[in-house]
Amino acid sequence: MQSTELAIDRRALLRSAILLVGGSMAGLPGEAFAQGKKLTKARFFTPAQYSVLDETAEIIIPKTDTPGARAAGVPSIIDDLMANWASAERGANFRALMDDIDRRALAAGGASLRALPPARRLEFVRAYDAEKIGAKDPVYSRLKELVLTTYYLSEAGATQELRYELVPGKWEAWTTIGPDARAWAV
Amino acid sequence: MTFDAIVVGSGMSGGWAAKELAEKGLKTLVIERGGHLEHGADYTDSLSPWELENYGLVKEAEAAEHYGIQSQCYAFSTATKHLWVKDSEHPYTTPEGRPFMWIRGYHLGGRSIMWARQSYRLSDMDFQSNARDGHGSDWPVRYEDMAPWYDHVEQFAGISGSREGLPQLPDGQFLPPMDLTGAEKDFKQKLEAAYPTRRLIIGRCAHLTEAKPHHEELGRIACQYRSLCERGCSYGSYFSSLSATLPAAQRTGNLTIVTDSIVHSVIYDPKTGKASGVRVIDAKTKQGRTYEGKVVFLCASAIPTAQIMLNSKSEAFPNGIANRSDAVGRYLMDHLSGMGASGTYPGFEQNYHSGRRPNGFYIPRYRNVTEPTEGLLRGYGFQGGVMRDNWRRGLGQAGVGPEFKASLRKPGPWRIHLSGFGEMLPRPDNRVTLHPTRTDKWGMPIVHIDVSLGDNERRMVEQVGADAKEMLERAGATGVSVRKHYGGAGLGIHEMGTAHMGKDPTKSVLNKYNQAHDVPNLFITDGACMASGGCQNPSLSYMAMSARGAHYAVQFLREGVI
Repeated sequence: MQSTELAIDRRALLRSAILLVGGSMAGLPGEAFAQGKKLTKARFFTPAQYSVLDETAEIIIPKTDTPGARAAGVPSIIDDLMANWASAERGANFRALMDDIDRRALAAGGASLRALPPARRLEFVRAYDAEKIGAKDPVYSRLKELVLTTYYLSEAGATQELRYELVPGKWEAWTTIGPDARAWAV
Repeated sequence: MTFDAIVVGSGMSGGWAAKELAEKGLKTLVIERGGHLEHGADYTDSLSPWELENYGLVKEAEAAEHYGIQSQCYAFSTATKHLWVKDSEHPYTTPEGRPFMWIRGYHLGGRSIMWARQSYRLSDMDFQSNARDGHGSDWPVRYEDMAPWYDHVEQFAGISGSREGLPQLPDGQFLPPMDLTGAEKDFKQKLEAAYPTRRLIIGRCAHLTEAKPHHEELGRIACQYRSLCERGCSYGSYFSSLSATLPAAQRTGNLTIVTDSIVHSVIYDPKTGKASGVRVIDAKTKQGRTYEGKVVFLCASAIPTAQIMLNSKSEAFPNGIANRSDAVGRYLMDHLSGMGASGTYPGFEQNYHSGRRPNGFYIPRYRNVTEPTEGLLRGYGFQGGVMRDNWRRGLGQAGVGPEFKASLRKPGPWRIHLSGFGEMLPRPDNRVTLHPTRTDKWGMPIVHIDVSLGDNERRMVEQVGADAKEMLERAGATGVSVRKHYGGAGLGIHEMGTAHMGKDPTKSVLNKYNQAHDVPNLFITDGACMASGGCQNPSLSYMAMSARGAHYAVQFLREGVI
C-alpha cells in the first residue's frame, strides 16, 4: 500500500505542477507559449518531438469553453507514460511517429508542424488522423487512444468537459436528459 | 500446534468453511499461502481515474516479464496489481499448443476480493446432468439437498436479484433487484417476443442493495454504485471473505489465521486412517512446520487443492491422499467464455443513466431446457447490458478539433453486448498432474495443466456466437459484431472438478458430504468438488458446499464418527 500512496503523492504533485503550468499558459499567445513550454521538462521525447506531441494533442482536443488537452496535462502525461509505462519498442515507435508527423507536415505545408499557421496545422492533423485511422495504423491509433484516455480521465476532462462522480451513491437506470447533457466520463 | 479444524485457503470457500466451523465452536485455523490483506486499508477504491498510477496502465515490460497470464484478466491494472500473482514466481507448465490461462490472487481473501460477484444457483437439471447424458460421475446430491444451504449463504452474503420462477435457475433469498435500463427493458420485451421461452432478467449479484442488520453488524453498508469492485470495496458492499465471512469467524474467538504459509501436503496417519494435519512451508523463510487438526478442509481452489492432494504421498496413498480412484486432478473444467456479440441499440436519445451499476442482465440457459438442440449437450447463459456509450467511442474514430470534442461531450448511442458462458463436459483427460521434475522456489512440485476442448465445446463456441448475433439482430441492433473467438481455457476463471463428488468411491473423490471417500476427516468444498459445472457462475455453489460440508463435519465430529 505504501507504494500506491507514494504514487498518489507523486501524481498529485505532478498534477498541481501541470495545472500551474497549464494555467499560466492558457491566456498567452503562441509565441509566448514557446517560452512557457521550456518550463515543461520533457523526460522521454526530445524537445522537438515533445513539441509535436503537444501540438497534435491540442489539435485533437483543443481548448474550447473547457480546457483542451494541453491544459489538462495530456502531453506531459503521455511523456510520463512513455518513460514509466511503454516498452522500449513502443517508445521507439512513438518517437518515430512524432518525427513522421513533423516530416509529413514539412512535406505537405513547407514547415514543421509548429511553424505552420494554426489553420494549416489543424488541416494537416485532420488529414493525417483520417489517413492513419482509416488505415488502422496501430501506432497512431494508440497515440490517439492515449490522448483521449488521459484527457477524458484527467481531472479537467472528467469534471469540466464531462461529468464524473467518485461516489454516485445510487443507481438511476432511466433518466431524462436534454440536448446539452454531458456524458459521464466513466 | 493443534486445532479442531484446519482450513486451507481463505477465499470464497475457505472463508465460509472457517465461519461455519468457528461459529459451531471449533477452534479453527485458516492457512493462507499469500500475505495479509487489510480490508479497506489495502484497497484502492478511493482513487479517481486521474489519481491512478500511469492511468491504470501496468508498465509493459513488467507486465510481460511478471504478469504474462494475469494481465489477460480484464481487472488487471495498477489499481489491482497487488492482488494478482506474479506468474514469474508461480510457474506451471502446459502442453505445447494447449495453453491454460490460470488467473490467481495469493493474499488473504483470495479471489473473493476480485471476483465478478454474479451469484446463481445450480438447478436440479444441473445436478442430474451427468446421470442423464453419462458424462462424469452422477452427483451424489440433488437440488433439494442444496436448497437450504443456498438459502443460508444467500441470506448472510446478501444476494440481490429478482424472483422469476425459472426451473433452470432457482430463485433464492434475494435483496431487492437492481433496475434494468429502459433500453434493457425494451430489449427484454423484443427478445421474449421473438423467442417465447427465453428470458432476460437482472443479474443476481453479491451486492447489498439494502444492508440488513446482520450485514451492518459486520460494518457493511449498501452499495454506492461506484463499480470499482475489483479494487476491493471499503464499504463492504459486495461479499468477500474480508468483508463478511472472516470477520464473522473472528468474532467467535475461535479463529486463528496464519498467512504466508504454503501448504505442502496433508499428513495421513495410517494408524487412525485419518488426516492428522498439514505440512506447511513458510513463504518467507522457507522453513517447514506442521499443524494438527481433527478435521481438514481443503479450500485452496481447484488446482492447488489437487496439487496438495497429489503431493500428499504415503504408503497408503502412493498416488496422493484420498486418490484411490485416480480421479484427483482429473475432470478439470472451466466455463467457455469470451464469445458473444455487440452492437448499437438505436433510439432513446433522451434517456440516460446515472451511477455505475456493478451488474448487468442475464439470459438464463435455454439450450436443452426449453429448446432441445440436436448435436449439442448442456448449454450456456449470457451476461450483458445496454448502456450509453461515452468518449471511448472516439478511440477508433477519425476526427480532430472542436467538432470532434463537441461530439464526444454528448452521451453516445446505446450499446448492447452479450457475453456467453458455456458448460464444459467433465472429461477425465482434462487434468492437473504434478510436474515430474520441476519445483517452485519453495520446493513444491509445480503443476502441469492439460486442458483441451472436446467436440461438444467446439460446437458450443460456434453456437454461442451465432445465437448472440441472431438475438441482437432480431431485436433491431445495428452494426452487430460477433466474437466467436474463445478466449482460452482458464479465462472463465471458474476452475472446477479436480476432486469431484460422486456416488462411487472407485471413480470419484468425495461423497455427498464433501467428505473424501478414502479419508473420513478430509473435506473439500472449493471448486474441486464439482462433478459438473453448469453454465452458472459457480461461487455461490462453493459457498453453499462449504457451509454444508462444515455442518456435516461438525456433526460427524460430535458423533465420534470421524
